[in-house]
Amino acid sequence: MTTTLQSNYRTRRVYEIRPSEGGRELRLSDRVVELGEREFGWYQRVASWLPSVQGVAELSRDLGLDEARVPRLFETFEESGLIYRVDAGARSMTGLEFHERFSTVLNSWLTQAFSHPFWERMMSGKGSARLFTGWLIELYHYTKNANRHMPLSAAHAHEKPIKQLRAKHYAEEWNHYHYFMKSLKALGYTDAQIAESVPLPMTLALSNFMRQAARHDILAYSICSAVLEGTTTDRKTYNPYYDKSGELYGIPREAIQPIYAHLDLDVKYQHSDLFRDILQHVPEMSAERASTVLDYGHQLVEHIWLWTDNIEKYYQVESNPVPRRPFDVRVD
Amino acid sequence: MQTATATNGSAVPGPKDLPLLRRGAEVIPGDQKVAIRHHRDEVTLEGAAAQLFLRAGRYLDGKTPLASAAAELGEAPARLEKLCGELEKAGVVAFLSGQSEQVLMSGTDFYKLHRELCNHWLEAVYRHPFWERVVTGRASRAQVIGFAFEKYHYIEAAFEHMGLAAANATPEMMPHLARHFIEEYTHGDIYRKGLRSLFPDEVVLHSQPLPSTRALVNYLNESAQRSSFAYYAGNELLQMTENEDGGAAGAVSEFYDAMRKHYPYTGKVIDSFIAHTRADQNLDHANAFLLMCQSVPPLTMREVNDALNVARNMAEHLLLFMDGIDTFYANFEVVPRLPCDLLSE
Repeated sequence: MTTTLQSNYRTRRVYEIRPSEGGRELRLSDRVVELGEREFGWYQRVASWLPSVQGVAELSRDLGLDEARVPRLFETFEESGLIYRVDAGARSMTGLEFHERFSTVLNSWLTQAFSHPFWERMMSGKGSARLFTGWLIELYHYTKNANRHMPLSAAHAHEKPIKQLRAKHYAEEWNHYHYFMKSLKALGYTDAQIAESVPLPMTLALSNFMRQAARHDILAYSICSAVLEGTTTDRKTYNPYYDKSGELYGIPREAIQPIYAHLDLDVKYQHSDLFRDILQHVPEMSAERASTVLDYGHQLVEHIWLWTDNIEKYYQVESNPVPRRPFDVRVD
Repeated sequence: MQTATATNGSAVPGPKDLPLLRRGAEVIPGDQKVAIRHHRDEVTLEGAAAQLFLRAGRYLDGKTPLASAAAELGEAPARLEKLCGELEKAGVVAFLSGQSEQVLMSGTDFYKLHRELCNHWLEAVYRHPFWERVVTGRASRAQVIGFAFEKYHYIEAAFEHMGLAAANATPEMMPHLARHFIEEYTHGDIYRKGLRSLFPDEVVLHSQPLPSTRALVNYLNESAQRSSFAYYAGNELLQMTENEDGGAAGAVSEFYDAMRKHYPYTGKVIDSFIAHTRADQNLDHANAFLLMCQSVPPLTMREVNDALNVARNMAEHLLLFMDGIDTFYANFEVVPRLPCDLLSE
């Protein structure tokens, strides 16, 4: 049996919690909330109580507060932005209004997507050429697998202008895996070795998730695509990783150059604006649809984090074959 | 002797020739002996046989005829042939010359091979550190509750992949896949009941799986739409983790006992895990794949490789499923995971 408080409130996403003087700093997409240790303890209890089957009496006992004071605590947390009333949002919005909403959270999402320790490891010299190569192989597969989801998105788009935009995007992107093929060849791999290799499960999962999104809702697919394109909007975001890896792990220039060529092409095509172009053709989105679409975008963020984890875990083991070969009963 | 000499003097492979030390075989040299390990097979050579193997190793590449290798080594071809024949029986060497795309494999032979390989591929899943973390009480609340939610999502996804499999089934596979769907689609509710001891029903219903769980389900979905038989070869690997007697079953009981001890609030959730395992076992699913294999026409090498690749991928996805629970919930402790909405972000 859920209480009124539990039906009315939900917690906002906290992207980072850091110790601060005498308490904690909680980073949300639009603000940083500072809490003392006691208030932070209360917040944690409220956050775990909200989706539970416990009653207000149990919460009040856990908090060490009189039951009558609990609603006031909720109001305080609501004012600080840590929790919100589920009925407070708009019932519908235009596509462009949705794009504005998306733009306000994209940076927080990308920070979360790339918060995996792999990046710090690579940039601090604790990575390896093997890990760099692994990342590149999986990027090759991810880019090649665009052929599994981009045309599907065009097939499942119903409105003519959106179909056009999705088809144009596919036409511009379908063969970009050649850039990564070129990079891998500069690292000593043959065409056949690369073409016959198989991706890691999480690399395959990314394209399978994009296929799921394409079948579900063209805007759900498009937000995922927008999150990915958001990682390539300008050179400042990706150059440090490639430059530093080249320097630290002896990656030849010829292996990095095609990656820059690919990223520059994305910028030239203005693929990061595509989501906005698509949303221009959406006069109205219900709150329910907008939430579903937003949720797909965030799921993609979590996919990127686990993708990185999967790459690190596989390629850091020296005995694992690189590239990965399909199973063949005759030789395996 | 199974190799012949061509008129130009070079060796021509015989019908059982071109020996290959199987990919992934591990050679462990010792004092006067050598052990060769491949999957679950292992053979130890001693004395002269060990010496010959170590010298011949570089010719076991699947390209060199036995006669040529023997000539290079200054050995009697019959001796090398005998050694390779023994290693083939031990499962560590294959002869590539006799293999053809046209060779067919019966469903029952496939069943035996599949079982053997899946047991090997599942070893990594059974060795996953998450199990030990729970058994020793070192897993966090988020990891333990997260584990229960991810199991629920995976079982609840029978609606998706089993439904797709039945809808896309070949004529031979259709009765099996239809029966399987009908028997399994309610099993998510067994887990849901357990989770309802801790969370309201609407929270359980709206909760969201990890990307790694979604990956497992989507891989099943995609396979189910593409090939009925390959799909079930993959699904069978998952079933084997529930239906196997002996070692795994004992370890599972110990795991649940330890979970109850360290995480007493999960009691009803564990009851639901056990209820589900019993429900599966009562359905006699342990024999389902054997019946399917008996009913399909002989398989081409391409079909065999396709189905085995799906099974191996499924093992990798299962490992990913475990990694997701272990790593993601350790880094992002919010559980249950609810979908975002316009205000949550």
